[in-house]
Amino acid sequence: MSHAPITRRRLIGAAAAVPTLVAQPRHRRPRVAAIASIYHKFAHAQHICDRFLIGYGWNGAHHQPEIDLVSLWVDQVKANDLSRARAREFAVMKVYPTIAEALTLGTGKLAVDGVLLIGEHGDYPDNEKGQKLYPRYEFFREIVKVFEASGRGVPLFNDKHLSWKWEWAREMYDTSRRLGFPFMAGSSLPVTWRTPSIDMPYGAPVREALCVFGGWIDGGDIHAFETLHCMSERRKGGESGVRSVQAYRGENFWQALEKGAWSQALMEAAMCRSHQLKPSRKGFNNDFPSLEAMKRMSNNPYAYVVEHTDGLRSAIVALPGVVGDFCFAARIDGRKEPLSTQMYLPMPPAQTTLANFFSPQVNNLEKMFLTGKPSYPVERTLLTTGLTAAGVESLYQREKLIKTPHLESVAYTAPKESTFWRT
Amino acid sequence: MPKRVAIVATIYEYLSHGQHIGDRFLVGYPWEGRWRKPDLQVVSLYVDQKPKGDLSAERAREFGFPVYPTIAETLRCGGDKLAVDAALIIGEHGDYPDNEIGQKLYPRYEFFKQCVAVFEKDGRTVPVYNDKHLSYSFEKAKWMVDQSRRLGFPMLAGSSIPVTWRLPDVDMPYGAEVQEALAVGFGRYDHTDFHALEGMQCMIERRKGGETGVRRVELLEGDAVWKAADARAWSNDLLVAALSRSDTPGGLTREDGRTQDLVTSGQLRKITKNPSAWLIERNDGLKTTLLMLPGTVKDFTFAARLKGRSAILSTQFFASPEPNVTYSACLAHKVAEMFETGKAPYPVERTLLVTGIIESGMRSRGRAVETPHLAVRYRGPAASQYARS
Repeated sequence: MSHAPITRRRLIGAAAAVPTLVAQPRHRRPRVAAIASIYHKFAHAQHICDRFLIGYGWNGAHHQPEIDLVSLWVDQVKANDLSRARAREFAVMKVYPTIAEALTLGTGKLAVDGVLLIGEHGDYPDNEKGQKLYPRYEFFREIVKVFEASGRGVPLFNDKHLSWKWEWAREMYDTSRRLGFPFMAGSSLPVTWRTPSIDMPYGAPVREALCVFGGWIDGGDIHAFETLHCMSERRKGGESGVRSVQAYRGENFWQALEKGAWSQALMEAAMCRSHQLKPSRKGFNNDFPSLEAMKRMSNNPYAYVVEHTDGLRSAIVALPGVVGDFCFAARIDGRKEPLSTQMYLPMPPAQTTLANFFSPQVNNLEKMFLTGKPSYPVERTLLTTGLTAAGVESLYQREKLIKTPHLESVAYTAPKESTFWRT
Repeated sequence: MPKRVAIVATIYEYLSHGQHIGDRFLVGYPWEGRWRKPDLQVVSLYVDQKPKGDLSAERAREFGFPVYPTIAETLRCGGDKLAVDAALIIGEHGDYPDNEIGQKLYPRYEFFKQCVAVFEKDGRTVPVYNDKHLSYSFEKAKWMVDQSRRLGFPMLAGSSIPVTWRLPDVDMPYGAEVQEALAVGFGRYDHTDFHALEGMQCMIERRKGGETGVRRVELLEGDAVWKAADARAWSNDLLVAALSRSDTPGGLTREDGRTQDLVTSGQLRKITKNPSAWLIERNDGLKTTLLMLPGTVKDFTFAARLKGRSAILSTQFFASPEPNVTYSACLAHKVAEMFETGKAPYPVERTLLVTGIIESGMRSRGRAVETPHLAVRYRGPAASQYARS
């Protein structure tokens, strides 16, 4: 499958083709619907929706969004469900029995100004490749049906990757362009705190970039790719699209590292940013593991090495049992030392009680719901969705090189302004 | 030739300060995106206590240095003259008694005194780092700082909180007119309060005119804390700001994961079991408060109101997770910097003052005490000292 490059001209053209679906101006607080797979303690829906209902710490105050979360649909309601209790506690929000009703508030026509699609957590099957079959695409289609029937679309956020299946993700993206509604997606990794608090210099000539993380096929891969891409997309020329993805696992992982499939120096630079580096020796709390120690400690390491159409080489490197956080490093032409940082997840319950990395994500969603403008391009998540699927496919096909002509056209330019949490 | 370092520690067991700071001089530490091995060599070690789990002998064997039975022998490496270029004193953890006001009697002063005796006898001094507060006693602490001045050796002390990462990455603008400052901490007296107070101190010492010392301290506990809150002993919005930086609220957050505005909702008073408030008035009139909210939060946060700035300045001092506790790498680097250059990166008076605040507060629970002896005036460097690159 191939597509014409996604250009600004094409985007404007797509939006202009259906002027009736452009959001109308409002004179009241925006109303938002949430469509969620499940709503329990520490489910993504709880983290995100609670921040709309209750507010959250932001810029040194308790910030209450100027937005009303008025409706909720939840696919799975189990013993640990919080959605019903939340609806009782927060009168502004009602639970509806169908996605359509959550969007129309029972009026028969689209009656909200924005939609949250949160298809993470819940009891869904895995496929033979290890992908969790979250029904994000299915939810999206229900949402779009209402948009089309109402002759109008509203800003939509899709949590994490668009779908486990590339074709569906592409269809979701194309649909948003065809109908002309603002669409944002992805992980909270690109927007959370960084230690150090740095961004990729805009227009930097990046030679190689990687993210080291703790591994988690599919579900964690998307976070690692988003960590990588929110940085590498700022490189000279912007994101160019991807030609191929190659997975390495187990013994092949170590051989690929030795052969330089990704740079060991860069991998180690990223690891030096970790706050969760497993000690390699008993009695030591923070030593740097030798390669031998990494081999001993890591439980089934894997990497996806990505060839971009502009020649950039990038990788996500999963070292379960060695690294527990998301660390980034890049080699930039003309710069002696690598650029490196750690994207910090204050993760409950082990380290914190609040998953505050959702705060900058929700803050960016508020901006989209208030202005109709996404803070960062959904093309990032379209590409990371495709990369995740291709990486998983490569693993599944016994580490075969996966050519990705369908990702060659996913080229985009990131905004110059930094969008991560700094204040 | 790497400079030679002696470590003088209360204990050296896993995750004690002795181990997690001391080890960084043996195996290096993460710094600015690489694994830094400072140009220093640990050549001798003294440990006061060897509990089960003691690692000192194991480290000595592996890294090729002796463990000596006395501090003097440690500094002289078994010879008859001072034979090291720096001393790292880590008097935290170990089995030591409390005094009548609840302070743990760590022998930091005693360790330091023995170092000074060697310096004087051998006619040479070396830089000294003292972990955490200088002593349980201000008088002893003052003596320690005086010796470093009298004999002219560089001295550094204190917590890792002032030098760790901040969320967000902000410092007090140098020379800012601070109108009020507040810190929130957790834990127990003479322990975590020290970290919270040093966090606040490293910020407010950058104010216009520098630190002028403390003229009054009052330590309130239990209901007296809420009465003081009702009487506006500190600004509510500063407390809201500090708590907005916390990742660890208790109560309903612990129950169901929700965010909370603890102050406005009234939950703060419901869930805080044993609050205490340190009301600390400075000689230049600045009002500063430390609220210790055990059970309610588990992180160190700070907020201040500055003249000419409508937004409150606030941040969290990032106490990064165990076991890496990378904040101690930030501290070890500052110590290494002093050992390598012979210059203390920030003034030991910060720690002297905080040492005195803790003693005065704990001696005077429930009533305000005048503290003319805490007229510790100093200025910190304009360049930020915390981890940010």
